[in-house]
Amino acid sequence: MSPHGVVERPGPFCTIQDLGRRAGRRAGLAPGGAMDQRAFLWANRLLGNDPAAAALEITLGGFALRFAVETVVAITGARCAATLDGVEAGAWRTVRARAGQLLRLGYGAAGMRAYLAFPGGLDIATAFGSASAVVRDGLPGLLGRCLRAGEPLRWRAPDLRCPVRHVPEELIPSFPDALNLPLVVGYEWAEFSSADRDRVFDATWTVDSASDRAATRLAGPPLDTGPRVLDSTPLVDGTVQVTGDGLPLVFMRDRPTIGGYAKLGSVDPIALDALAQARPGTPVRFVRAEPDALRSALARRESFFGIRDEG
Amino acid sequence: MITFPGPVSALVSLPVPADREGIARILDLERVARDALPGVRATIPAFNRLLVEGSPSTWDPEEVEARLSAVAKECLAMAPEVEAGDTVSLPVCYDPELAPDLEDVAAGAGLSAAEVARLHSGARYTVLATGFAPGFAYLGDVDARIAMPRLRTPRRRVEAGTVGIADRRTGIYPTAGPGGWRIVGRVPPAFLADPTERISRFRAGGAVEFRAIGRDAYEAHSG
Repeated sequence: MSPHGVVERPGPFCTIQDLGRRAGRRAGLAPGGAMDQRAFLWANRLLGNDPAAAALEITLGGFALRFAVETVVAITGARCAATLDGVEAGAWRTVRARAGQLLRLGYGAAGMRAYLAFPGGLDIATAFGSASAVVRDGLPGLLGRCLRAGEPLRWRAPDLRCPVRHVPEELIPSFPDALNLPLVVGYEWAEFSSADRDRVFDATWTVDSASDRAATRLAGPPLDTGPRVLDSTPLVDGTVQVTGDGLPLVFMRDRPTIGGYAKLGSVDPIALDALAQARPGTPVRFVRAEPDALRSALARRESFFGIRDEG
Repeated sequence: MITFPGPVSALVSLPVPADREGIARILDLERVARDALPGVRATIPAFNRLLVEGSPSTWDPEEVEARLSAVAKECLAMAPEVEAGDTVSLPVCYDPELAPDLEDVAAGAGLSAAEVARLHSGARYTVLATGFAPGFAYLGDVDARIAMPRLRTPRRRVEAGTVGIADRRTGIYPTAGPGGWRIVGRVPPAFLADPTERISRFRAGGAVEFRAIGRDAYEAHSG
């Protein structure tokens, strides 16, 4: 089958993502899924796609795709100078392209990850209910690796007629110079010393460059390593774990399902979107979260984007 | 005890030991909890704990707590359904060349390397949890004489099939990667499930046995 487009340059880390998988979590498969789910969801919404349609997550730009058909795509996420045959294409909007045109995403000016969605979503085999690539889990084909130069892509509805749409200016998230991360305290929180519990909220942490899709590592004043955890515990999205060096890390989409170190609680799942866009060196503070408020915000988001529970 | 590690999740800890009966009770609890709560999206059983993740539109923490504690009470009152199913049997080579921590474990226990191998392969283990990474299983209990804590600093890379000990748990790394458990042997990787076919050979509650093999047999299986 002939491709609808070919990735000429994937950039440093380009993967196929959707909203991740729940199946297999019991057996250790990472949830996976778009790191910045808000940007991902907007990209699909612009095209009228299913909210979980597979799209590209492009890390740090440096990306180029040659279209083989006339079609329309949507670009959201990191600010990274999108051009179509050298003409500025804009972002947080749909972009029409003709066969033969080249879409480029330059190295980003702000943020870490851009999303490129296709009409109907990318046409790709799924595993355990999702098309999300988790490199460490060794799933077959594109579910287990980054895209390479020359990668052919097909999407499900290349002929979709879609009006030009853009995300309203006031709804486009900014890339703040510093982040507040709402923290639901839990797990072994009460067993950390009171000095350490104060330090968690008093300190300014910074995003460490050793961060990836599995965890955002934070640099700052080391805590005591906390209580010894006898048996590993199931983790939730955004779990904050303190490892042997006393520094906290926030588990992201490609996280393990079970963890054996002491944990402080978990970060607001919605705040993980902004954290996924935070560049190394970004200052971060933890603030106490009100779980009820976080849950209402999550419910509003799922209803707004039309996310349903399967089965 | 029920705690809430996130806005849409609950962690139930049963006051039972993390052993064969403990994981059996947790699996019973998991089955009942999935029906007793609306909108359950995922559950993860591990040792004597169960994580339940729900949907933000239907999750009411007070109701979740009331229902989960009722279900937990019920499960504690019943005799656990201990699994009698299949046993996974795996060959392990305890050659010190493949097992860099074997001598340390032996020295710590005041035993010979051969005795450590005998104690490790002589037990029948229960799968107390699956997860961390796909294909990994936490097996217990390791004989107290050869139980040793994790390395302070994990190795940057251990090979697929590596058999490690961490306290009273043992497990096999399904793929190469960083690892902090004390390495006492290696399973020929051919005996580990292909993740493309099935996530794991191990099921929580199931049983695992090891049989010691020599270096020649290991090489023959690995060839």
